[in-house]
Amino acid sequence: METKVKSIEDVVFGEELPVYLPDTSLKKSAEFASLVGWEGARFSNHEKAKEEGLAGAMMPGILNQAYFSAMIHRWAPNSTLLSIDTIFRAPVIADQEYSMQATVTDIDEDQRIIEIDLIMSNQKKETRVLGTARIGL
Amino acid sequence: MIADIERLQEKYLNKDFDVKNFLIEAETTVRFAWLSGETHPKFIDTDHPDFQAPPTFVGSLAGSRILPSDFPRFGVGMDAGKSVECFAPVRPGDEIIGKSHLHEIYAKTGRSGRMIFIVTRIEFYDKKENHLANSDSRIVIAERQHGN
Repeated sequence: METKVKSIEDVVFGEELPVYLPDTSLKKSAEFASLVGWEGARFSNHEKAKEEGLAGAMMPGILNQAYFSAMIHRWAPNSTLLSIDTIFRAPVIADQEYSMQATVTDIDEDQRIIEIDLIMSNQKKETRVLGTARIGL
Repeated sequence: MIADIERLQEKYLNKDFDVKNFLIEAETTVRFAWLSGETHPKFIDTDHPDFQAPPTFVGSLAGSRILPSDFPRFGVGMDAGKSVECFAPVRPGDEIIGKSHLHEIYAKTGRSGRMIFIVTRIEFYDKKENHLANSDSRIVIAERQHGN
C-alpha cells in the first residue's frame, strides 16, 4: 500500500511521487471530451483524427492536467492545489501507454507550500506534457 | 517585427472582452472528478461538508469567445497549454462569473518562422465578487508566411 503524505514535514526535497499510469483509452477520452462540451472527432475517433492530420485521437489536454491533480491528491490527500501550469509539448494519443512522473523541487516550510515538477511521457520516454504545481500542505 | 507585437499588447492586454455566467452543477463536477481519477470524498461525495469541484475543473469552462472579436488572424491556433490558479473552492450549486481578457502576447522565432503566443485568462468570481480562480489558455499560432 502506498504511503500517504499527511503534512509538509513528511515531504523530502527531491522526492518522487508514485508513478501514475493514466487511463488513456479512447473511451475515456471521448467521454471526458463530451462532458466538457468538446464534441470534435479528434477526441473520439482515430480515423477522423488522422484525416485532420493527427497521429490518432488525442486525449484532451485538460484531462491530462486533471490527472496530475488526481495524482497529487492520491499522494497527499490533505493538500490543496494552489496552482498548476501544464505545457502541451506534443499530442497525447488515446489508446497508447503513458506514464506520469512528479518530483518535489521546493519546500517552503514557512509558507507551507510545496512545488512539484510534472512530466507525462510516452513509452519511448518522450515528454508530451510538462508542468509545475504548487500545493499547500 | 517586435513593433507589431507591442501594438497588440497595447491595444488588447488586460481589457475584458467577454463576461459569461456559469452554473456549476454537482453532476458535472462529480463526473469530472471520477473521469480524472480524483478519489477524495470532497470531490465525489455530494454530502461531504467540504464538497467542491476539482481544482482544475475551471479549466473546462470556456467563455463565449477565446479572442476579442477584432483581434487579427495570423493563422491557425493550437492549444499549447493550460494553467489554473485556485484562490477559493468552486462550490457546485453556485453560479459563478467568468471575465476574459488577454493576459500575455509574445512571439518566438524558430526555424519554421515566427510563432505568436497568446494567453487568454478567465477570472472567475462568485456572486459576492470573491475571486475564486484564474484559468489561462495558451494558444500558439504559426504565423502565415507571405505567399502561403
